Amino acid sequence: MRRFDQLAVAVLALVATGIIAAGSLWLGGYDPLVAGAAMFQGSFGSGTAILSVTMVRAVPLIVTGLAVALAFRAGVWNIGAEGQLYAGAIAAAWVGLSWGNAPGWFLTPASLAAALLAGAAWAAIPAFMKVRLGIGEVIPTILMNFVGIYLAAFVVHGPLQENRGVFPQTDLISDAARLSILVEGTRLHAGFLIALLVGVILWAGLRWTHFGFQARSVGASPDAARVSGRIESKRVLLVVFLSSGAIAGLAGGIEITGVTFALYEGLSPGWGYTAIAVALLAGLHPAWVVFTGLLFGGLEAGAGAMQREAGVPAAWVSAVEALVILFVLAGDQIRRRFSA
Amino acid sequence: MITVVAFLEASVRLGIPLALAAMGETITERSGVINIGLEGSLIAGALGGALGALAIGSAGGGILVGAFGGALVAMIFAGFAVGLGTDQIITGTAVTLGGLGFTGAIYQARFGTTGTALTLPTLSSVPVPLLSDIPIIGSALFNQAPTTYFTYLLAPMLWYFVYRTEWGLELRAVGEEPDAAAAAGVRVKQTRFWATVFGGTLAGIAGAHLALAHAGTFAENMSAGRGFIAIAVVVLGRWNPLLVLLAALFFGAASALQFQVQTLGLSVPYQLFLAFPYLLTLLALAGWVGKSRAPASLALPWPKDS
Amino acid sequence: MTDVFAHLNGIIRHFGQVKALDSANLEIHSGEIHGILGENGAGKTTLLNILGGIIHPDAGSLEVGGSQVRLQSARAAWKMGIGLVHQHFTLVPGLSVLENLALGRRHRGHRWRLHLKEIRKEASELSKFTGLTVPFEASIEELGVGDRQRIEILKALLRDPQLLVLDEPTAVLAPAEIDQLFQLLRTLAEEGRAVVLVAHKLDEILSIADRVTVLRRGRTVMTAVGADIDTAILADAMVRSSSSDGDVPTTPDVLSVLGQGSDHSAPNREPGNRSVAELKGVDVYGPQGGLALQDVGLEVMSGEVIGVAGVEGNGQRELALVLSGRQEVASGKLQIPERVGFIPQDRNREGLAADLDLTENVALALHRDPRFRLGPLLRWSLIELHAAEIRSRFKVRSSGGRALARELSGGNQQRLVVGRELSRLPELLIAENPTRGLDFTATAFVRGELKRLAHDTAAGVVLISTDLDEILEVADRVFVILRGKLTPVPSAHDSREAVGAMMLGSRLEVH
Repeated sequence: MRRFDQLAVAVLALVATGIIAAGSLWLGGYDPLVAGAAMFQGSFGSGTAILSVTMVRAVPLIVTGLAVALAFRAGVWNIGAEGQLYAGAIAAAWVGLSWGNAPGWFLTPASLAAALLAGAAWAAIPAFMKVRLGIGEVIPTILMNFVGIYLAAFVVHGPLQENRGVFPQTDLISDAARLSILVEGTRLHAGFLIALLVGVILWAGLRWTHFGFQARSVGASPDAARVSGRIESKRVLLVVFLSSGAIAGLAGGIEITGVTFALYEGLSPGWGYTAIAVALLAGLHPAWVVFTGLLFGGLEAGAGAMQREAGVPAAWVSAVEALVILFVLAGDQIRRRFSA
Repeated sequence: MITVVAFLEASVRLGIPLALAAMGETITERSGVINIGLEGSLIAGALGGALGALAIGSAGGGILVGAFGGALVAMIFAGFAVGLGTDQIITGTAVTLGGLGFTGAIYQARFGTTGTALTLPTLSSVPVPLLSDIPIIGSALFNQAPTTYFTYLLAPMLWYFVYRTEWGLELRAVGEEPDAAAAAGVRVKQTRFWATVFGGTLAGIAGAHLALAHAGTFAENMSAGRGFIAIAVVVLGRWNPLLVLLAALFFGAASALQFQVQTLGLSVPYQLFLAFPYLLTLLALAGWVGKSRAPASLALPWPKDS
Repeated sequence: MTDVFAHLNGIIRHFGQVKALDSANLEIHSGEIHGILGENGAGKTTLLNILGGIIHPDAGSLEVGGSQVRLQSARAAWKMGIGLVHQHFTLVPGLSVLENLALGRRHRGHRWRLHLKEIRKEASELSKFTGLTVPFEASIEELGVGDRQRIEILKALLRDPQLLVLDEPTAVLAPAEIDQLFQLLRTLAEEGRAVVLVAHKLDEILSIADRVTVLRRGRTVMTAVGADIDTAILADAMVRSSSSDGDVPTTPDVLSVLGQGSDHSAPNREPGNRSVAELKGVDVYGPQGGLALQDVGLEVMSGEVIGVAGVEGNGQRELALVLSGRQEVASGKLQIPERVGFIPQDRNREGLAADLDLTENVALALHRDPRFRLGPLLRWSLIELHAAEIRSRFKVRSSGGRALARELSGGNQQRLVVGRELSRLPELLIAENPTRGLDFTATAFVRGELKRLAHDTAAGVVLISTDLDEILEVADRVFVILRGKLTPVPSAHDSREAVGAMMLGSRLEVH
């Protein structure tokens, strides 16, 4: 029953969003049908679109979506996935460039491991503030996003800048550091499989492990977890927070080693924030995050096409994503009222 | 001496938009609502200010439109968070994302993505007679845009409102124990709704001020997280409008410091300057928070979940 | 013949699936004290909330002063002269006492000023007149329940109500405070006001009410003039079984549960000679920073039920948390066994996670138990079986293990909590107001299980309750807790009044 309700909420939220989105386009003087068609064509309209654009764009969304879903499940409001992603990207780029001569079987995993650690480190400050000082984590994680973006900017203007010294970006990492392509002739890389793997691990972990149960309990009812479950919330929250940061960092590392092969300013068009929509639409369920991640990947992939063909500004897509969040939240509330 | 004056002047200039948004959020949080969507109100105010000023032809008109834009965004937030009772944190985040997205889209749609900056009718400084002649602080405090004076006057008025009026009493009651307030006949949801809209209106004015008095133009995402910093300033000011104004000015001063350091010629990377306000906020939160108490029902929905 | 002030007719109200009021009637007369009786869950509070404008009926009518009205809000009720004093205190801690008294009173046209001086003057006069002394200078946090109750009533009286409604005002008062309250109510009635009083203690109601209405399962089953009835008739009306009822026990059990002049003599248990838990010289800090428990000493022996009686807010929470191992002591010695069960008083928030299903809620108690673990994994199939067994043994009515905890009724929720805690096979069980808000069958069930655990399995049970009758019925040994200090009452079962006095802190010679 629970699952069916959640699915209904997700579907209705999408429908409501679609209506408002189309309405806003029409008000702005755009043709919603043309825009919609362009978007679909750009995201799911061809094999190339699906494999090289949508699925590739979905990878960071799925991974950050998983990071956010994990955090939210335990009641940790990690709005800092964006900064954690950048931290991971910086670390992966640094490792890839520093040890460019190392063999592939070492370099790629090392880059990703560095990304994991960097993401966790980025989450450590807000985590510490929450657990030790009792400061709500929302503002600190958001603040760290800004710091992360500026740190990346600093790095590409300074220490890690390309040897030519012309553009604010790093050199390309060596072939050894790169993730292999899954389908010949496309841009679909092994990061997609890593994303799925992370999804499976989270799903199994939350469902079957002791720690996963503790995390879920703390998220469902911190008081009951503490009093009846005798669960040490602080330890659980800390581990979840750091893990969430690590996974978001991994997303950054995957982008570097799988898609861009270099770090530059503006690497992420706000994936860390879109991840919230991805996670919520999936009902915070790791398995469903894969699907919603693909959906939003398609959305963002189609945004470029939509701008070219129908002239709709790409920024509008992030507004639509925000609408999805609002409607999912509203749907959940209404569902709760009816079942009470 | 000149640099001191410049420093003070910059402090006030940088602090005022924060102060406005933070004072608005103070009222909102006093009713038990935390509005993470404040940033959305801010950017809506900035765009509203820009478009309004262009359409009406005056900066003053821009301020009004900006105020309205901020109020509108806050109404959307309040509709979901107060009306329906959705989680305030996530709803606020969504409203901010939506605000940034929509304003970006509207800007791009109207002015294209070429990147040439808009020129707007600006809100110029108006010196206050007599007061602006006071040495050193006179020109820093009293030779600013009119919205600055509005802010100065607003602080004590809000203080009086919160602590010395019946409306303020009901506001505080709703923020501490909404059940008790309801039992006494106070309309909890209404109070929370209007407190939130008021906060958004002030943030809208702050945004319009940013565009018209500060930058003289509009750029996407120009709010740069000021809405979030404002929320932190509310904590530092202990939810007291007067202290919040002071805290915001202090923040402005700390930010102004970064420019002083630049003129001293120290080779600190440019991006560190940009990151400075956010790091400072983190530090301030970590150092100050234990010492004040938030309104007890902050971020809790009302009526409570069954 | 007194005038009818208000008349509720045929009130129906649903909460989701549950029909809280099923055609309830109430006729309130001015100058009278009207008592409303009913067991937990009968709909008393719901009816009062409708009278107070806080919730709306689905059907039925409300007449005030002869004309039909629809109360849209609490404010509308106040305007009609209806003043509600709630069961759970509605004072705001962040505001001063005067500000609390002022809350809700609007001085038309002058809302830009607080009228604290005027209110203080009015309150002082009222205070003198009614005998309700209130510390105007204190802050809300430091006040005890008696003071809070007085402020609540004063607050209501300041608005000059023609009808004063009190929801279970005696639940947390000691006997002497109850007498004071009743005197005041009598004075108010003599002034011509109407007073409605809700309680679930038969003798209390009979001692004060002129007219009595009995609610059962949301319906008015009896209305009578106080002089014409006695406790037996009332008890019978409250639990008279009809063909649709399930397991309603016979009258003698009813009387004992309702605290009606039953034999409170101790079961004369010989406690076992094994010490299960011990506290010695224990200090514990409370949430406000002061000492909630001071130099507390207690030894729980196997096979006995220890009852800790006290008015709310005297350190019971800290005692429960410390004994169950959920909180550290600041100083002193604390010895508790490994397997401790805890039935917290807030079953909705602390006993169960509302959004987890029943199996997962059971797992809250089992997740550390190696029997249900396989390394880092939990053995869910085993946990499910165990949970199913608990549900059947303790008769938890639900739609299955996958049902969410929030879907269960209060009684079933508590059954699950009790079953879960008992299935830990605890050596020590702490129960904190375990029957609060439960209907009569669930109450009897829980009390029975507590006794059974101690007497049949040689565990030690500590029952912490604000209900003195519950303590006297269940406990072998009785303590009183007052301002963080624990005092034994050796002859508790012989003198209920003595215990009641001790709960309040007055000295009564106990022989």
